[in-house]
Amino acid sequence: MKRIPISIIAALFLIAPAIAVSAGNAAEGKNKSVVCHACHGETGQSLQPIYPNLGGQHQDYLSKTLYGFRDGSRQNAIMNGFAANLSDADIEDISAWYASQKGLVEIKDK
Amino acid sequence: MRIRKALFILLLCLLSVNAFAAGDYEAGKIKAYTCTGCHGIAGYKNTYPMYHVPRIGGQNAEYLVIALKGFKSGERNHSTMNLQAEALSEQDIQDIAVYLAAQTDTSGD
Repeated sequence: MKRIPISIIAALFLIAPAIAVSAGNAAEGKNKSVVCHACHGETGQSLQPIYPNLGGQHQDYLSKTLYGFRDGSRQNAIMNGFAANLSDADIEDISAWYASQKGLVEIKDK
Repeated sequence: MRIRKALFILLLCLLSVNAFAAGDYEAGKIKAYTCTGCHGIAGYKNTYPMYHVPRIGGQNAEYLVIALKGFKSGERNHSTMNLQAEALSEQDIQDIAVYLAAQTDTSGD
C-alpha cells in the first residue's frame, strides 16, 4: 500500500474547514433551521402560501438573500429580525439544508 | 332602501376583487414567456454580484404576487426585475403567478 505523505493529509485538514464554511453543511443547517420551520417548513415547503417555498432553491440564492436580510439591503420585518442573529456559517449551513431538499424547479420554455 | 343600495355596491366591489384575484393559467403561460429568458435556463447566473437566478417553478402563487408587486413598487430592488415588473398590470401578475406555481417538473413534455 502506497503511503500518503503526512504533509498532504495535514494540508487537507487545514483546507477542510475553509471548504466546509463556504460550501455550507446541510446536516448542521437542518438543526440550525428549526426556527425557520414554523413558516417555511422543515423541508422548505412553506406552511402558508404567502411565505416562499425554499426546498430546491439554489444555495447561493438562499445565502445571498439571508445576507441581504441581515445587512438590511432587503427589507422584511420578520426576516430582518431572524437574520440579524445569524453568523456567516449559520447562513451557509441553512442555505445548504434547504437547497438539498426537493421542490422548486426551473420553469419551462414552451 | 339606501342600505340595500349600499349593500349591492359593496357586493359588486367584493365580486370585482375576487375576479381580479383569480389568475388565469393559459394567459399566464403566454405572459410568463419573458421570464424563461432567465428563470428557465438551468444554472443561469446573475452577475454583479454573481449568484444563481432563483428557481421559481413551483413557488407559491401568493408569494410570487407579493414578490412581483414588491419589484413593481420598488420595495424590492433588482434592476432587471424592477423593469420587468413595472410593465406588468395587476392581472398580469396574477396570471403569471398562477402559471409559475403550477410548474413542477422541467423534464417532462
